[in-house]
Amino acid sequence: MVDKIIGISKKVIQLIFVTFLLSIIVFYMARLAPGDPLVSYFGEGVERMGTAQKLEAIEKLGLNRPIYEQYFSWLSNAFHGKFGISYKYKQDVLSVIKDVYINTIILGGLSFVLTFLFALLLGIFCAENEDKLIDKAICKIGTITTCVPAFWVSLLLILIFSINLGLLPSSGAYAIGQSKSIASRIKHLILPLTVLILNHLWYYAYMIRNKMVEEMRQDYVLLCKVKGLDKKRIIYKHCLRNIMPSYITIMALSVPHILGGTYVVEKVFSYPGLGTLCFESAKYHDYNMLMVLCLITGILVVIANMAAQAINERIDPRMKHDRGEKDWNNNTAPGTLK
Amino acid sequence: MGNLLEVKNLFVSINTKEGELQAVRNVSFSLKKGEVLAILGESGSGKSILCKSLLQILPKNGFIKNGEIYLEGRELTRLPEKSMNKIRGKEISMIFQDPMTVLNPIIPVGQQIMEAVLTHEKMSKLEAKKRSIELLMTVGIDYPEKRFYQFPFQFSGGMRQRIAIAIAIACKPKVLIADEPTTALDVSIQRQILDLIRELQVKFGISIIFITHDLGVVANLAQRIVVMYAGKFVETGTTEEIFYDARHPYTWGLLSSLPDVDCDNEFLSYIPGMPPNLINPPEGDAFAPRNKYALRIDYYKEPPMFKITETHSAATWLLHKDAPKIESPIKFKECRVIR
Repeated sequence: MVDKIIGISKKVIQLIFVTFLLSIIVFYMARLAPGDPLVSYFGEGVERMGTAQKLEAIEKLGLNRPIYEQYFSWLSNAFHGKFGISYKYKQDVLSVIKDVYINTIILGGLSFVLTFLFALLLGIFCAENEDKLIDKAICKIGTITTCVPAFWVSLLLILIFSINLGLLPSSGAYAIGQSKSIASRIKHLILPLTVLILNHLWYYAYMIRNKMVEEMRQDYVLLCKVKGLDKKRIIYKHCLRNIMPSYITIMALSVPHILGGTYVVEKVFSYPGLGTLCFESAKYHDYNMLMVLCLITGILVVIANMAAQAINERIDPRMKHDRGEKDWNNNTAPGTLK
Repeated sequence: MGNLLEVKNLFVSINTKEGELQAVRNVSFSLKKGEVLAILGESGSGKSILCKSLLQILPKNGFIKNGEIYLEGRELTRLPEKSMNKIRGKEISMIFQDPMTVLNPIIPVGQQIMEAVLTHEKMSKLEAKKRSIELLMTVGIDYPEKRFYQFPFQFSGGMRQRIAIAIAIACKPKVLIADEPTTALDVSIQRQILDLIRELQVKFGISIIFITHDLGVVANLAQRIVVMYAGKFVETGTTEEIFYDARHPYTWGLLSSLPDVDCDNEFLSYIPGMPPNLINPPEGDAFAPRNKYALRIDYYKEPPMFKITETHSAATWLLHKDAPKIESPIKFKECRVIR
C-alpha cells in the first residue's frame, strides 16, 4: 500500500514537472515566433492604427515587458485559475474552450477507439491468413491508404460525398441549431472519422499483424497445439495476451499521433473543436489560448503514457520487476528461500 | 500385445526457398503399449520433424508427403484439424527441448495446466484445479498450492520442464513424445528429469518415444533404439543389440563418440564431415562420404534393411553376404551402459 502511494506521488510530481517545462517552452516559442498578436485582437483595424496607438495596445496587453516577466505573471494568474482572455474571441479562454472541447473529445475519442479496434481485428485476421492471397492484398492496399495524406483524402471525400452526391455535410459538427441532435452529429462525424481511421488504421494493423505472426512462431504456441487447443483459442487466449502490453504501449504513445491527425482533419472539415482552435490561435498569435491548448494536449499525452505503464504492469507481471521484488518473495514457498 | 502406434512409409518434406527438403524419407516403425522407443541421431537428421509429423504440428512450410500413421488402428494423416485436436494432448502428447520458452510467460502455470485438463475432460474448474495441483505434486513440485499461481519466470529451467511434463501428462496420454527433454538442462537436473520420466512411464504405463542425440541418456530408459541418419532409419534394435552388437558404421561412430572416463584415450572420437543436404539427397547411402568403411556400391545404390535378428536390422551393404567382413571398432566396456 505504501509502495503504491509512493509510486503514484512520484508520477504526480513527474507530471507537474513536465507540465511546467512545457509551459515555459510554449510560452517562449509563441512569443519569439514572428507575427503580430495585435492582428488577432483588432483584426483588420490594425492597418489603420498609428504607431502610438499600437504601442498603447501592446502595453495594454502587457506584451511590452520582458518575456520572463510576462511568464511569471501568467504563471501566478494561472495558479489562481485565470488563464487570460482570448485575443480573438475577447472572452475568457476557458469559456471558449468549454464550448468546443466536447466536439474534439467525440471525434478524437471515437477515432482512437475505432482505429485501434479495427487495427486489432484486421491485424489478427491478416496474421491468421499469413501469406495467403487475402493477406497479401490487404497488405498492399493498407500501405497505399497510409501513404495518402489525410487532407487530400478529406478533400476527395468532400468532393464525392458532399458536392457530387450531396449525401453528407462537408463542415461543422452539427446542423445549425441542432447541437443536441445525435443523428445530425453522426452525419457530420462520418467523413472526418473515415479519414482519421483510414489514415491510421493500417499503420497499427500492420504492427499487430507482424507481432502476431512472430508470436505464433514461439515455442509456447507449439505446446498449446500439443495440448489440443484450436487455433482460434491459441491466438486469442495466448498470443493476443502476449502482444497486448506492446500494443497498449503503442496505443498510449500514439495519443499525440492521433490527436495531431484529429487537429488536421478538424481544420479541413471546419469542425469546431480544439484542433481548429489550436490552429487559429497559432496563426493569429492568440497567446493565452495557445498556452492552454498546448498544456491540455501535453498533459493528455503524459497521462496516456503513464496509463500505459500502469496497464502493462497489470497484464505482464514481469514489468514490475524493479519494485515488485518483495511481493514475489512473499508468494514463494517457504522452503525455496532457505 | 498389439501395436499402439504404427508408422508406415512416412515421407515428410519442408518447402524451403532452395527447394523441397526431404526431412524424413520412408520411415516405418511401430510402438507397443508401455514401450520406450529411443530415436537417436545427430542434429538435422530429421528426428524432431518425424515426431512433429506424428502430431501434425509441423512448421507452416512442412507437410506429410506420403505414408500412414495409425494410432490403435486409426489413420491420422488424413484426419481433419478438429479431430486431430482431440488426439493431441489426449492420446499423443509431447514435451520439448527448451523449457525456458515453452510455457506462456504471462499466464500462471496452474492455469496452463488447467487448460490442458479442461480441453479434453468435462469437469468443473474447481476439479480441474485440484487435478492440476495433483499433477504438480506428481512431477515433484513442492508447495503446489502456492506454485499454482506463479508465473513461469518464477521457476528454474528444471522446474519448468517438470511443469511442461505435467501439462503433457495432464490427460494421461497413451503416447508421450519427448523431444530431447534434457538437452537444455544442467547435467544434474538431466538425471532428475530422466528419473521422473521413467517413474511416470512405470506409473501410468505410457508409451514413450524419446528423441535424443545422447546415447548415455537412453541407455537405461529405452527398450528399443532406432538410429536415424539423413531422414532415414539406418539401424533398429533392442537397446542391448544396439549397444553390444551395433552393425551400422554410423552407430559405431555414435557409440565411439561417447566420452569414456575409464579409457585412456586423450581425444574424444568423432564422426568426420557433415550430414548431407537433404534438398538434393545423395544417391546411394547418404552416410557413405563420411564412412571409412564405405564400399563402392554405397555411392550409387542404397542399402536395404538387412535383418540380423527378429528385432535387429541395419541398412548397410556391409551386411551383404558378399561384403568384406569388418569387425566392429567398438571395444565395448561394461562401464558404458551401467552407470
